[in-house]
Amino acid sequence: MMLKLFKEIRKTGCGTVGYPYAPLDLPKGYRGKPSHLEEACIACGACAVACPPNAISMELTSSQDQITWAINYGRCVFCGRCEEVCPTFAIKLSDEFELAVMSKEDLEESCAYPVATCACCGKPYASAKEIDYARRVLARAGGASADAPAAASGASAASTAASADVAADVAASLSKIDLCLECRRRDDGVAAVRHAPAQGGALC
Amino acid sequence: MLEASFPAALQHQPDPVVLDAKVAEAKAKLLESIKRSVCVYRVDCGGCNGCEIEIFGTITAAFDAERFGIKVVPSPRHADVLIYTGAVTRAMRMPALRAYHAAPDPKIVVSYGACGCTGGIFHDNYCVWGGTDKILPVDVFIPGCPPTPAQTIYGFAVALGLLEQKLHASHHVEEPGVAAPLAFPEVPYKVRVAIEREARSLSGYRWGKEIADEFLGVLDAGGADVLGEVDALIEREPDPRRAEVLAALRGVLMAKVVA
Repeated sequence: MMLKLFKEIRKTGCGTVGYPYAPLDLPKGYRGKPSHLEEACIACGACAVACPPNAISMELTSSQDQITWAINYGRCVFCGRCEEVCPTFAIKLSDEFELAVMSKEDLEESCAYPVATCACCGKPYASAKEIDYARRVLARAGGASADAPAAASGASAASTAASADVAADVAASLSKIDLCLECRRRDDGVAAVRHAPAQGGALC
Repeated sequence: MLEASFPAALQHQPDPVVLDAKVAEAKAKLLESIKRSVCVYRVDCGGCNGCEIEIFGTITAAFDAERFGIKVVPSPRHADVLIYTGAVTRAMRMPALRAYHAAPDPKIVVSYGACGCTGGIFHDNYCVWGGTDKILPVDVFIPGCPPTPAQTIYGFAVALGLLEQKLHASHHVEEPGVAAPLAFPEVPYKVRVAIEREARSLSGYRWGKEIADEFLGVLDAGGADVLGEVDALIEREPDPRRAEVLAALRGVLMAKVVA
């Protein structure tokens, strides 16, 4: 009877995981510490808006020339919403899980980016990197949307017209990319007032 | 939110327990090397019980914290280590302090979980203090929502001086003029967005991204016969579910580009 039990134990083996003496087997897609790629980040703030516990924050520095992206791992709930919304794939939940610290300051990580100022009013309105990224994306969307790799053979007249529309939109967006939201709104308002009589509309 | 919208003088602030010099000295010695097994008492200060489940996971046979002499005890009077879970609700402040004072000195206080560390997702709730360190001197913070048993064992190892902490505060300042790389520069932006959107709607953002990356990687590499290469990619995919998603992405590509 006893022998049978020992045989059973031997057959089953040790069920306890080896960690911390051996590396832990993590499942694929494990959501550990969010790792931030500084060079890919454009400091757009999408992650800060999406973060449910406000672990990620974006703030202008007091000198108004930099915007600081900061994460507090102590507040993070590892939901992965930041990874989901990031337009440049700059944030990814890694499989790093050893996060315990002796002091609370060690849970904080931050990164400061230069800020772009509005060409009209001079107020800081977005990170310079984001503006640069948007400019390049718009240039690509305007210039290259019609000639996709597989469609070199048959571009019809309709798609050429559509691409001309896209190009006009892109040109309009690019012309106002240096303005802050308020100045852009005012600009649009002024343009609308100017064009209203020509289109038969009444000025209010 | 509350902290930001009301002046601090109008808000009641809890007075944290301050250690006297002798106890602090004994505690420093304890933290450096405890050289014996430790008894742990768990204090729930208004958590969701996720942290408790993980603590029980840690002391089961699979993770077996008792290998390291870590034992959970039912009374603070037997405890060397106090684990505080939860965001410390106003009602639980007094019981938390009673448990703290009931434990013999020197004792180690561990803040467990995102709520224990900073208040977590409840940090701006009206009825919480937002973190154990607001009322007690905390020695080790174990973040996680909830921390997995492995994270818990690591946290204990840090608390008992067996392992070094890996995470350190960092501040990076980006130089002006650094450009963020465009992903898949050879694929038209709108085609890329359409493919990523379709992949995400079919497989979720994480696996969808993996599949879209694979697909866009083939498009980005170019070559004379891109459609042929896409077909080959679908052909050699062993998982039928992934193959179906890849076929749907091919459909999007055809609709976007060829039509």
